[in-house]
Amino acid sequence: MSDDALELIRTRRVVRAMTSEPVPRDQLEQILEAATHAPNAGNRRLQRFIVVDRASTLRVLRMLSPGMLQHPAAAIIICSDVVKAVEYGFAPSSGGLYVDVGTAGQTMLLAAHALRLGSGPVTSFSKAAVGAALNLPRSLRPEMIICLGHPDRNEPPPMTRRRRRSWQDVTYWGRFEPDQGQAGHAARPADGSESFRSSP
Amino acid sequence: MQVMVLTEEEGLELLAYLVTAARTQLDEAAEYGPLRLLTAAQRLGTFMAPRSSQATRALIEDSIQPMPETATRSADPDGYVAALDAVCRGLAEHLVGVFDVDRGDP
Repeated sequence: MSDDALELIRTRRVVRAMTSEPVPRDQLEQILEAATHAPNAGNRRLQRFIVVDRASTLRVLRMLSPGMLQHPAAAIIICSDVVKAVEYGFAPSSGGLYVDVGTAGQTMLLAAHALRLGSGPVTSFSKAAVGAALNLPRSLRPEMIICLGHPDRNEPPPMTRRRRRSWQDVTYWGRFEPDQGQAGHAARPADGSESFRSSP
Repeated sequence: MQVMVLTEEEGLELLAYLVTAARTQLDEAAEYGPLRLLTAAQRLGTFMAPRSSQATRALIEDSIQPMPETATRSADPDGYVAALDAVCRGLAEHLVGVFDVDRGDP
């Protein structure tokens, strides 16, 4: 992975304040194209994308989505084709379907960031209402909305002001050790050996 | 006092938000409940402010609207409760003035 890619990952933020400036069609297409490269269970590609960039439809979408704080200039609704999923032997609520939604969503967020667009995922919406508003067949279940737009300066503060957790805070190397406690206790030795140690 | 009626579009926007929030709350963290209610209050306030008295507009703009849309209890439990209590107190003091509560019943 190049340093550029790592920098994109580090600097991406959820954007909840967006201007009304439209998102050009070619940028939307680039984001959609990027999503087709996201890892996908069995390469089955059970996700479908609905793009909304019409102001009146976006307004209705926002009314039906309590988690949508931003006024996006465009939105991509990631849907799971649950009928096809069942044909493959997945349960409609299989966790694998949600993982694929997540990988597609994250890929879109990073692609948007690379294009200097703001973006934010929304899952707090009524699936029934959004499905009806967008004329989705019952086979397509809307799972996540990716809001897109140009960042505004009036960005609200993050959801929480907790300290950002380091990778050491959330990682156990090799095997879970309940006594390792908090930050850094599971850090891998700097020499790369597989032995365990606790940080001071 | 001016009779305030939301436009149909404004009313629908709030109605849709409240109904869909009732549904999403079944799936999301319980601490999002207050957050959703406060967002609804802020949206109502946005509709009300241009048609409100100066005092009510001040309450909306100085007390209701500045509440962060993304604040949740878990980030700062005591601070969150204290901030909400402060808003509630300010709201109550405003209501006392608007409804002439200190005058008492005749």
